[in-house]
Amino acid sequence: MSKIDPILLSVYARSFKAITDEMSISMAQTTRSPILCEAKDYVTGLYDADGNMLEQTENLPILAFSLAPVCKYIKEFFGDELYPGDVIFHNDVFSLGNQNNDVAAFKPIFLDGELVAWTAVKGHQADIGGNVAGGYNPNAVEVWQEALRIPPVKVVERGKLRKDVWGLIFANVRLDIVQHDMKAEMGACTVGERRMLELLKKYGRPSFELHKQALFQATRKMMEAEIAKIPPGQYAGEGYVYYDGRHPGSKFTIRVDITVGEKSIKFDYTRTDAQTNGFVNGTFTSSASATILTLLQMVNPDIPHNEGMVQPIEIIIPEGTILNAAYPKATTFGNHLCPPNADAIQRALAPVMPERVTAGWNNLLASLTTGIDPRSNEKYVDIGFMGLKGGSGAMKGTDGYDHIGMIDASGGVLDQDYEMFEQQTPHTLIKHELLVDSAGAGQWRGGLGVETIFRIGSPDTQLVTFGDGDFEPAFGLFGGKDAGLNFIRLTYPDGTTVVPRNKDLITGVPLGTLYHQVASGGGGYGDPLLRDRALLAQEVRDGVITPEAAARDYGL
Amino acid sequence: MIHKTGQAQVSMQSNARPGERCDETKIGIDVGGTFTDFVLTRAGADPVIFKSLSTPADPSIAVVNGLRDIAASMRPALSLEEFARTIDTIVHGTTVTTNATLTGTGAKSALLTTQGVRDALEMRRGIREEQYNNRYTNVAPLVPRYLRVGVAGRIDRNGQEAQALDLEEVRQAIALFKREGVLAVSICFMNSFANAQHEQAAAELVRRELPGAYLSVSSSVLPSIRFYERVSTTALNSYVGPKLNHYLDQLVSRLKDIGFSKLLLIMQSNGGVISPQLAREKAALTLLSGPAGGPVAGLFYVRVHGQNKCITTDMGGTSFEASVAVDSPLVKNDGEIARHKIALPMLDIHTIGAGGGSIGWLDQGGMLRMGPHSAGADPGPACYGKGGRLPATTDANVVLGYLDPGFFAGGKMRLDMAAARAAIDEHIARPMGLTIEEAAAGMYRVACNNMAQGVREVTIKRGFDPREFPYIPAGGAGPIHSCLICNELEIPLQIVPRESSVLCAFGMLLSELKHDFVRTFVARLDAVDWSRLGAMIDDMLLDGARQLEQEQIAPAQRSHEVRLDCRYLKQYHEVSVAVPQQLIQAHDAGAIAQTFHAEHNRLYGYSLAQENTAIEIINVRVQAVGLTDKPSYRKQPWAGTGSDHALKSQRSVYIPESKAFADVNVFDGHKLAYGNRVQGPALIEQETTAIFVSASFDCVVDALGSFALFQKGRVDLVASCMKEELSI
Repeated sequence: MSKIDPILLSVYARSFKAITDEMSISMAQTTRSPILCEAKDYVTGLYDADGNMLEQTENLPILAFSLAPVCKYIKEFFGDELYPGDVIFHNDVFSLGNQNNDVAAFKPIFLDGELVAWTAVKGHQADIGGNVAGGYNPNAVEVWQEALRIPPVKVVERGKLRKDVWGLIFANVRLDIVQHDMKAEMGACTVGERRMLELLKKYGRPSFELHKQALFQATRKMMEAEIAKIPPGQYAGEGYVYYDGRHPGSKFTIRVDITVGEKSIKFDYTRTDAQTNGFVNGTFTSSASATILTLLQMVNPDIPHNEGMVQPIEIIIPEGTILNAAYPKATTFGNHLCPPNADAIQRALAPVMPERVTAGWNNLLASLTTGIDPRSNEKYVDIGFMGLKGGSGAMKGTDGYDHIGMIDASGGVLDQDYEMFEQQTPHTLIKHELLVDSAGAGQWRGGLGVETIFRIGSPDTQLVTFGDGDFEPAFGLFGGKDAGLNFIRLTYPDGTTVVPRNKDLITGVPLGTLYHQVASGGGGYGDPLLRDRALLAQEVRDGVITPEAAARDYGL
Repeated sequence: MIHKTGQAQVSMQSNARPGERCDETKIGIDVGGTFTDFVLTRAGADPVIFKSLSTPADPSIAVVNGLRDIAASMRPALSLEEFARTIDTIVHGTTVTTNATLTGTGAKSALLTTQGVRDALEMRRGIREEQYNNRYTNVAPLVPRYLRVGVAGRIDRNGQEAQALDLEEVRQAIALFKREGVLAVSICFMNSFANAQHEQAAAELVRRELPGAYLSVSSSVLPSIRFYERVSTTALNSYVGPKLNHYLDQLVSRLKDIGFSKLLLIMQSNGGVISPQLAREKAALTLLSGPAGGPVAGLFYVRVHGQNKCITTDMGGTSFEASVAVDSPLVKNDGEIARHKIALPMLDIHTIGAGGGSIGWLDQGGMLRMGPHSAGADPGPACYGKGGRLPATTDANVVLGYLDPGFFAGGKMRLDMAAARAAIDEHIARPMGLTIEEAAAGMYRVACNNMAQGVREVTIKRGFDPREFPYIPAGGAGPIHSCLICNELEIPLQIVPRESSVLCAFGMLLSELKHDFVRTFVARLDAVDWSRLGAMIDDMLLDGARQLEQEQIAPAQRSHEVRLDCRYLKQYHEVSVAVPQQLIQAHDAGAIAQTFHAEHNRLYGYSLAQENTAIEIINVRVQAVGLTDKPSYRKQPWAGTGSDHALKSQRSVYIPESKAFADVNVFDGHKLAYGNRVQGPALIEQETTAIFVSASFDCVVDALGSFALFQKGRVDLVASCMKEELSI
């Protein structure tokens, strides 16, 4: 048993993918929070005994690349105290978690008494304690003001639920549905475990271990081949973060120095600004995920997502920078540093790989409403996914994608359905359409943004905003134009207008207030005068570009 | 006693009800991309199979061509007109609507919708299916933006009018549609599932001012909650409606010309049939018309083995389709076609890009992949000798000995072994450092693994254990791959019908008239307004009765099923459960809850029955069924266990279990009859299909003439075909 069967190798790769896909379907069908079942803000994964990634299904990639490091950490933490039937929860950002609300369940898999693999699911939970319902607390400066910390903790041991531990955790969480959604995570882990054991029993562990290594090598080769297409050298780029939630006018710079070698690529963030004294701070794993997912969009999209894929990538993010805050800083905003991080990478690599980079994507600006639904007298929490999805940046040969949303999800996170939105929240939808003239002009235009208006249907509503893109628009490339700016605006029934800051907490929003949001478009690529005239005429006819804008930007 | 049971199962196959006439002449016609398949059933005769070349420009030509061929083959030969007059029923499956959608060639249509949401159809909730692929573009909308018009007027979430419909804006929109010469109009307003008055008022205006246009109204097409699903389904209906109408005009007139004047039925996506008139109105019901016959046929063939469930698969040139039936074919309400949502009930048929033409290639990491790119029928696999240079699944089958180059399609087409070897050598074997045979075996294995994953999609992912299901491999190349697929999934029993190459056409003859109705009814199960629910169901039953009346189905031949789409409070997705009407009449919320808990547990591995979690109803569904006459099917006479009389030759083929070539017996399938047994490994060849019995299976011919492949030693699975042993 030492010869690689090249065909069996394909069978393994395909089977791993099928397993994590099946886990993903299980999550979609059984969870309750719209953040999970509608927006699909979760990831499912399969790992070997040592926590190396075998495969993942990444609806929201920003969550994805922190699972393997945490898996390794958990294994080391429990050492020989891991047993068949265990389930371990984890969210702690100071032991490699990416965001407090992204709570993971890990399940060790045993065959004949030996630890052979892990399944894991991580999803954005609707609440995880802390000062503010839903987790986004712009006033936080320390982690305890944001969330309940869950370092590796066994909630099930040898198949038996530890109800004391379970009770402790959920006594610190506001919403009941979080318990059920964590059960759904555990269920999906079990689904994956069953399939993995079938596979292992069929081919035996030695075959699995041997072919796993070969799979990593094959994938590594693919990734190295992609890196080899980038001219070797050193490249630098910047991305900008506006406002830390506490100091109006503050601005921070993410600086990346990329070194492309023959078969490896290094991202060094040493020159990045220091951490903030607010919640606008990244964790190492969320920042590294941002780096990886941006790179993955520039290479062959068919590369399998396993350990071999990440091996040629080196990432340096010193502790104490805005991308890797030191204990015990607040970090809930960290996932949303992905867009400016991606901007820095696109800007750095644009001159040397003009065919693979995109212009700037619309940066996320999001909101979360909480209140008491007058129909049921029950508390609701709604992340307004509908309003936050702007356009992607254009690339050479391809227009940006309309209404795709932030680059950290790349179209994996969906709008709520309009009618379900009206059933599940007390709000009434008034407008949700593509935003005319929002795309950055170019030979290839950026993706269009959207405009959303709804009437708030609960009294004394609390609104949390978090995001960016209201100071700097998505940038154009190679003669392509910038897109527009994001905004959120409230118009109270008495006519008062409130424009929240991009990280803000507004309380006492009255019933009947109009909520108005624009998520703008992506940046354009190339000289707008070179855009296909027939296509342009069609877009004018369709009304996504006004005749005035077509004349001004495209000379039509 | 066991013996008797076996007999009873076989005689059930006539499907005859007491006193009922079952001797009609019926023809099932399935129009495919390359071939149009025919199955003819008559009193006292076995089914007869025909194939004619499809005529994509006007598919009805191939229908008439085929009928002419069948007439000529009758003994004594009949003229087309003489033959047409003897036909009682034609059941027809068409890919007209499917193809229009897949190729983006539907009608120029318009959409009238609520002000503020006109882009829902194009935005598709903002999904990009390939997240890491920045070159992946959105699908073109079914209605271009300038023909999507939002008008003022609003129904609220409870069905109350919040703002009156602005009829003047509706008129202006219609004037635009008129100027633009649209052929079809869709109407879909927010919350119309709860109150259809605005849609009806707008529809009235469209009918008056644009009388020639094909009209789809969302509250008629799909009166259930979820705006995107409803607008997409309604727009699809308009997109394909004019094409289907045009095609049915052609078909009906051609059939009339040749003297056919009896019953014509159209296959719909839900596995039932429908009158042409209803198909015209709800054209989207036919989007899966072609493959929908398969699962019903699969059930027919497994019943002789005392089974009520099966996995039916169909392997064509470019795609592989898999579906599951338990008592009846499984249905889903959240389908998709060409990236457009369609929320009408349709059979849960999963399609993957794996077929005889699927091309083998190496990815950048050097790993072997098969498909989804296909060589299609033209140029086709390298072995077709039509200029194809890339190695396809069929090429591997030739190299491995499963296909006889001189007996492909009954000898009508020669296959080029040298071309197959050269293609595999150049693209797979040499780059991987394998022999041509090893490379071909690898292609075969990866293709089978892909198809096995496709079967997993419809079994394991739906909470079914595939090992408990007989496996029906249809399509010409299906039974060459089925043993390895079944080994992969540990399925111990396969049934290969004689009609496996035209299974869908046969299934059409077995289908009932089926009409689906749905209404949204949001209520907690512990606080249901039972009289309102009852009235809603009665209303839908009345609609069903009316349609069956139109189709001249006598009340004694009607039945219906009521389903409730339920979920745990605050869950987002519903589970649809069949509920006996007595439970609703008895207001028995407890029993309904039990049914739901059980189904949730089966699907997702847990239920919240212990926690006593509240359950809510979202939708109410009614299916009205009209029973059709089924073809009679004769049981074959017992022919003994021997099979030497059918032995043709020996051939060297690849045995996957031992990973080596070996000489195996080749049998003439047409000469094998009820009770004949063949030991694996072996090949059984028929004109339109070849069966590879691998080393882990044996085969016995059952009472219907089907080839039952059972795992070695598992004679218990085919007890009804083992007459002699049973009578000892």
